Amino acid sequence: MKKLPSICPACQSQLNIKKLSCQKCDTEIEGLFELPALAKLSVEDQELILQFIRCSGSLKEMARLQKLSYPTVRNQLDNIIEQIKTPENQE
Amino acid sequence: MTDIELNNNLQKRTLGQWLFNPFQFIAGGSALLVGLAIILTATYIGSLSNTHFDGVLDVHTGKAAPLWLFFAEVLSDWLWISIMLLIAGHIISRSHSSVRAIDVFGTQALARAPYLLSALVTLPKGYGRFVEFIVSKSTHQTPAVAIGGADVLLFLLGIVVSLVVLIWVILLMYRAYAISCNVKGSKAIISFIAALIVAEILSKLALLLLALVTDALPPA
Repeated sequence: MKKLPSICPACQSQLNIKKLSCQKCDTEIEGLFELPALAKLSVEDQELILQFIRCSGSLKEMARLQKLSYPTVRNQLDNIIEQIKTPENQE
Repeated sequence: MTDIELNNNLQKRTLGQWLFNPFQFIAGGSALLVGLAIILTATYIGSLSNTHFDGVLDVHTGKAAPLWLFFAEVLSDWLWISIMLLIAGHIISRSHSSVRAIDVFGTQALARAPYLLSALVTLPKGYGRFVEFIVSKSTHQTPAVAIGGADVLLFLLGIVVSLVVLIWVILLMYRAYAISCNVKGSKAIISFIAALIVAEILSKLALLLLALVTDALPPA
């Protein structure tokens, strides 16, 4: 299955979901649905959050696995927090 | 991050990253240990040619002084700039978790590593002879030493290397500050320059006070 894009490749705006479908019974739902806050992040940022969870929230462990320094990993997480805190994500 | 992406990221590391922004990979206690080891080695080598690191960014080949003064100078420089940047970082950091003092002190220690090159280029006797010659000339005294063409070349090499090292150290100090305190943009640059100026003044005052109290000779 393809990865879910969150940014429009044409104009770089935030994408929304217009259509959902059930693969089992072919039911289709149309409307305008907003992406969840985490789904709005880039694929790289989502991977970082998944790793954060896999490491039980330990930045030290993440830094060790990625062979990066602790403040570098902490800064990556801070950047994600900043994105999540933007007004459009807080709605 | 998947294992493949993780391996790709590790492979992407270049020599340039290690030379100009090693703090992506090393900070905290390990940076502190490596940085201090290099600082102390550079200071000892510098002391052999009476080269003083007597200010946050200063390198001067001056008068002879007790060995402990060379170490006091370099530790004072490092401590003052680290303290000032830690304060600046606490004020303007975007970080949602606290800025760790060990990261600021460790990365600032490692940022001074290129000074090892300055200590090495001032080590040859010819460099010291030329400095002594210039000092005598500038004070209208008859030079006690004669200099040759090789001495001039060694001096010029020392000046060029020291200038390159100075720019390199400033770049590393800024990047260490940016990563350890998570600061960016104009606020980061202005606070860095302000911290640098205050730390330079404080380190000079501390060294002057130390020299007065202990009767040690201040560097020329």
